[in-house]
Amino acid sequence: MAISANVEYRLNYVIDAVVQPSMTAVIELLLWLALFQGAAGGTIGGFTLPYYLSYALWGAFFARIASSWMYEFRMIEEIESGSVNGLLVRPFSFYEYYFSQLMGYKFITTFVSFLIPLGATLLLDWPAQMDRLPLATLLVFYYLILVHSISFLVSCCAFFWNRIHSFTVAKNLAFWILTGELVPLDLMPEPYRGWVINLPFASGVYVPVAYLTGRAEVSMVWNGFLSVTVGLIAVNAAGALLWKKGLRSYVGTGA
Amino acid sequence: MSSDAIETRGLSRVYKSYRKPEGVWNSLKGLWDRQTVEKTALQPTTLRIAPGQIVGLVGANGAGKTTLLKLLSGLITPSHGDALVLGHHPWKRESAFLKRVSILLGQKNQLWWDLAPLDSFALLARIYDLDLAATRRRVQELTKRLQCDHVVETQLRRLSLGERMKMEIIGALLHSPDVLFLDEPTIGLDIVAQESIRDFLAGYVRSRGPTVILTSHYMDDIAQLAHSLLLISKGAIVYEGTVQDFTRKTESVQTLSVRFAEDLAADVRLDGDLHLAKGGKEFHLKIPADRLGPVIAELSRHGSIQDLKTEETDFEDVIKSFLATESRLL
Repeated sequence: MAISANVEYRLNYVIDAVVQPSMTAVIELLLWLALFQGAAGGTIGGFTLPYYLSYALWGAFFARIASSWMYEFRMIEEIESGSVNGLLVRPFSFYEYYFSQLMGYKFITTFVSFLIPLGATLLLDWPAQMDRLPLATLLVFYYLILVHSISFLVSCCAFFWNRIHSFTVAKNLAFWILTGELVPLDLMPEPYRGWVINLPFASGVYVPVAYLTGRAEVSMVWNGFLSVTVGLIAVNAAGALLWKKGLRSYVGTGA
Repeated sequence: MSSDAIETRGLSRVYKSYRKPEGVWNSLKGLWDRQTVEKTALQPTTLRIAPGQIVGLVGANGAGKTTLLKLLSGLITPSHGDALVLGHHPWKRESAFLKRVSILLGQKNQLWWDLAPLDSFALLARIYDLDLAATRRRVQELTKRLQCDHVVETQLRRLSLGERMKMEIIGALLHSPDVLFLDEPTIGLDIVAQESIRDFLAGYVRSRGPTVILTSHYMDDIAQLAHSLLLISKGAIVYEGTVQDFTRKTESVQTLSVRFAEDLAADVRLDGDLHLAKGGKEFHLKIPADRLGPVIAELSRHGSIQDLKTEETDFEDVIKSFLATESRLL
């Protein structure tokens, strides 16, 4: 269903899968080129420019997988407007319904959008160990379950407050830093570096991209799986509680 | 409990909202100080509906009929009391319950906006664990009966309101529910579409025999489809009986609009208390249906009639008049 519904809007599909992450990548690449031009030595944090270019390129595309603002807005809208009724009377859960939509959409867009960093890496010979790509992708998709669970938790707030889209915007800004999309997390000073890398959010961009581009080893990936699992338990417990409480106050015509 | 399809005991629902006095200062004050207001949408309600019954649920806007429907279909949770629908507490939304009921909300889309109905039906077949080939045959049968087989491959968002409603009906009936909640299934449709949907639903309930609760503002929907009637006012059921009894109690009234070719030359008194003032040309009269013929005959004796039309009195007015007769205020 997600595939049918999304390819229906061809232009939106192409922009989301290709144009948007490409633009993000170009901005980040320019940023790193400018930083290295102004830097005294040839390295920052022990890594040369090609490492950062490769990180910026892959980071932009991994970050696209690791976000669900579009579906989060829809989930909030469903509850705010009362159109969630159509789902509540059917034998499946709101969580599962949007989870399957999100996963279906990410699969079809990832397949297309990954062609760009793959092609660029091969063409420009930037550091990336392609044999590490499957495990890195698996981690980001596992992290996507957590992203969806957080979206579910945020959307449950719509049962109690109208207009909560600002939650999503604020949360996404925080994730921009916490996932490592903005800068590699290993550039942060200690003790923040250790804390942030051990948070589950690092598994969205930093851990898989650092592993893929040779900044980190496989042990960090396993650690990522573990911290995402802990995050999943905590967020889903809170989500289930809020959903139950929300339904008790729900009036069936929107919040 | 019993073998009834639907049974409620003291079922009620209270809604909470915030009072927002006028003005910018009160808007700012509302940031830290909000006054909660409680409204009883449904007063403690006890009722029993036998399997296969078609019940018309009527009442004015805000009377509580949709709240009752939402409680029984599991969309909302009661504040007090209990209900069993097919042996399940609806608000627990157990899969076994949801697979046996269906709700059609006339003012909300439940199929997928971006998908063609055929895709939506295929998805519903998977959701309800239906056999795909049998579902395809059933869709063919239902679309043929509703005369809408030509639009099943068009995205829902591109269909007209009437076509969309037909698709929603098919979606709601695909899994052959034992209990069907129909909330204003013909609202906003033109007369042709209303009749088509009404005929279809009448045929469907005759052949399949589900328990149906139907709300509608159109008396024709209730008269044609329902065996019995629940009249709800201010959140309480104030009448429970057959449609025939209700119709007998609420004398059918028509609005007669008449325009004469020329102004009336003198005052005219008709049928007791109807008064047509001298000098007037156009009149709107409320007349019992069985008095229409004599009144029209009498009118034609007082001038040349240029235009004449009759309309059934608004259903809300019928209910109001019934409640007034029964000494209950709406």
